[in-house]
Amino acid sequence: MTTTPRDHWWMSLALLVLGGGLALVFFGPRESLPEVRRAVADEDVLRIVYTQTLRPDPHVRLLPLSTYNQFILSLWEPLVECDPLTGEPQPAAAASWTWSEDHRLLTLRLRPDGRWSNGDPVTAQDFVRAWQRLLRARVDLAFTLFPVKNAEAYHRGQREQPEAVGLRALDDLTLQVELDQPRTSLLAELSDPLLAPLHHSTEQVLADRSFYEQPSALVTNGPFRLREANADGYRLEASPVYHGRAGVRLAGVQFIRAANSSMGALLVSAGRADLMPSVNLSAGRVWPTRRAMTVESELELGVVGNYFNVTRGPLRDLRVRRALALALSREELIEESDRTRLVPAWSWVPDMPGRPGLALFKEDAAEARRLLAEAGYPAGKGFPVLRMALPLWMEGNPYPTACGERWFKELGIRTYVAYESPARRSERINAGDYDVIYGGLIATVPDPADLLSSFTMPAEYSETKWRDDETIRLMAAANQKTGGERLALVEQVERRAMADVPVVPLMFERRHTLRAAEVKGWYGDPLARQSPKRLWLEAPAVAPRAESHPRT
Amino acid sequence: MNPANGNGGGDWWRNWRIWLMIWVAGTVGLVAFLLWDARAWLQDSPQATFRATKLNLWPLEILWWLFVPAILLVHRSLARADRHWLWAVALHGLLALIITALFIVAQAFRLVLLNHLPATFLPVVVNDLRWMRGWSYLPALVYLALVLAIYTVSFYRQWRDGQRLTSQLQVANAQLETKLVRASLDALKMQLHPHFLFNTLNSITSLIRNNRTREAEDIVAGLGELLRRSLDHKQEAMDTLERELDFLRRYFEIERIRFQDRLKVEFDIDPKCLRAQVPSLLLQPLAENAMKHGISKDPAARLLRVSAQRDGTRLLLTVYNDGPALPRDDAALGRGIGMQNTHARLLMLYGDEARLRLRDNTPQGVRAEIILPFRTSSSP
Repeated sequence: MTTTPRDHWWMSLALLVLGGGLALVFFGPRESLPEVRRAVADEDVLRIVYTQTLRPDPHVRLLPLSTYNQFILSLWEPLVECDPLTGEPQPAAAASWTWSEDHRLLTLRLRPDGRWSNGDPVTAQDFVRAWQRLLRARVDLAFTLFPVKNAEAYHRGQREQPEAVGLRALDDLTLQVELDQPRTSLLAELSDPLLAPLHHSTEQVLADRSFYEQPSALVTNGPFRLREANADGYRLEASPVYHGRAGVRLAGVQFIRAANSSMGALLVSAGRADLMPSVNLSAGRVWPTRRAMTVESELELGVVGNYFNVTRGPLRDLRVRRALALALSREELIEESDRTRLVPAWSWVPDMPGRPGLALFKEDAAEARRLLAEAGYPAGKGFPVLRMALPLWMEGNPYPTACGERWFKELGIRTYVAYESPARRSERINAGDYDVIYGGLIATVPDPADLLSSFTMPAEYSETKWRDDETIRLMAAANQKTGGERLALVEQVERRAMADVPVVPLMFERRHTLRAAEVKGWYGDPLARQSPKRLWLEAPAVAPRAESHPRT
Repeated sequence: MNPANGNGGGDWWRNWRIWLMIWVAGTVGLVAFLLWDARAWLQDSPQATFRATKLNLWPLEILWWLFVPAILLVHRSLARADRHWLWAVALHGLLALIITALFIVAQAFRLVLLNHLPATFLPVVVNDLRWMRGWSYLPALVYLALVLAIYTVSFYRQWRDGQRLTSQLQVANAQLETKLVRASLDALKMQLHPHFLFNTLNSITSLIRNNRTREAEDIVAGLGELLRRSLDHKQEAMDTLERELDFLRRYFEIERIRFQDRLKVEFDIDPKCLRAQVPSLLLQPLAENAMKHGISKDPAARLLRVSAQRDGTRLLLTVYNDGPALPRDDAALGRGIGMQNTHARLLMLYGDEARLRLRDNTPQGVRAEIILPFRTSSSP
């Protein structure tokens, strides 16, 4: 007897239903979707998206910097703020300040109405405590305080007494900062959120993370205070004891965590958020809703480049360093997907308000080959393999390897790119066992000297191991001047450093912020320190058609 | 265990119902655990977030737990339907596509929940995933690898079952053949024994009638010895030539009493042949024929010679008598019961490899020749 196998009708039906459902998802509507209406509880609450880890600790600075700045500056207020247009320091927690004649002693007078969120007065000792913590933390960020007398020695364990550091609370409202060398830019540097004060209870609260269960335990002195904290983000409310509460128009700020930049942008588009800092946008992106949004763009005060260890082998020869710099092609280097974010860098300092960037580097592969041959390495013959030391997290970054490929293509020089753990890399850098480092630098003050200060560091602490006494002298002179005179001296520092090619600037970064149209008061800031206390929300009348798709 | 399904206690793992139960239990347990873990988020607790639940933290690969039984089910249905292979390829291609799409949608759905996006954004997020990193087609590859593995196991099992069946059939066939041969041999031997006994008993009767009681006693004693040895080897189809010759000597001792001094027996045996395996009681019928149709028919005849030689891979056995030449009638030419039995046994045991020939010897006598493959007990 033979039987004919039956087809399972239910299996065919299941496949049909499944296929139909998937088709609906894959080919479903992706434009003109309804946006989510703002909840009543969110009225006058600015909702900012972040994608990386965010911790309510000024001494844990995580990228992107703009999110960190907005978060910390919402909760804490440093001594001064810099005017985004002029870069000039403005009073914040400090009401006034005076310099000694030799510009080595800065005395700051705190405002008497400064209050912590629990009502305690903000004192000078709160700043001393916070800064000593920063120095003790032994993180790379401590260098911000290195201009302070004995701060670096204390950080490196060479001085054990905190009293030796040039920080003194003369009384509750007077803070005195003593410097190793004159440094007129120090006042602007005090606007760094990193240098916010800490309440005496804060260190313990941060250590045991009790702010998750009891948000009010995190005592802050900023325009907002913590109301909720969980894995999805933080909700802040306007602080009723903040001295400038009258000028704060927002009822609160919510920091919403998104899985990635693209999801963050979708959150803004969906109406669930209002700001997405450091958004990575592809050109021609079509948004799913008609929500009115704008992409704000500004050049970051930072630079990305290659650092040469000038004490190693052929890199001691200026001709070799110049050849390596000339052989690169920035246009070719920058990937298509990064064209809206990265711009070629022709010197170490980008355009700044009131100071256009210089063009001190050029590209000429033929000249590079000639210089290399002149140095004794025609077509790279006899040139040792360059060791490029990179941290593990940089694996996947195409630019270091692209530089190596370019050097091989144009000069016949091979590069070994080594990705290592932070500890191993730190050991290697301390031992000077590398040829090239790919890395970047971000300014903390609107001052070109901030980026250039790495060329005046002691050689043993600098990635390039480069030292030039004349550069140090020029920078020291600049630090005693202000205004145009200072800028002229700083330019000399830049020209001198770039001429000796201890570094090759490659790219500057352009920061994009996706902003819903109802967010008002937005202002450009090269340091990405747009404080939410200056912003407010205003419901748009009717979304103008032209503004419904952001400019990229 | 259900014996009706042919599942004994030892191969419970072949029972798909047990696997289905394990899968259902695992699925229920998994879903229950995930829901329990996410209970706070599902109840909208203020501190609870989807981010912290296992629904978000566990890898999406856990979905394979749900997909694998479905894949096995489809494979089984396909195998039963016995469709054209192109149809199977198309179906598996479609399923690979569907499973990949399901993984993408699951990932997108998770992102929608994680980022508090409206459900209407699911198509947007699905599309966004493609723009961000490109859709992952790994599930399709995993699916195809899985199907390949299933087909490989399936084909291997079919091949192994086929081999096992062939082997079982071969063994059964061989056993059947052996039984048949043994039965035939036993039957033939049963034909031999009465024949010999009849002749010997006639001889004993004749001796007693002639008052040669002493000789009759010797024959009875010799016959007893022969029967004992014959019974000892009853179950053996083969024996060594040495033992066969020994048996033959016993036989001749009986016949020598019958023929008194008239019988002269000679053995011309190559010692190398003694270990050769030969059918038991092979030579006795030939010797008996020689006695009956040769020595006893001619009073002048008296010589009977048995010889064995090795010729390469063959063993040549000869029984010669100097009696009268072969008569021209059929029976004498080898159609007698002894010759027929011997011929049949050789055919059964060796097929074409053995030969039996009876012919006149020049200038005198008759010789029976047997050619066999030379084998010893250690030969393969």
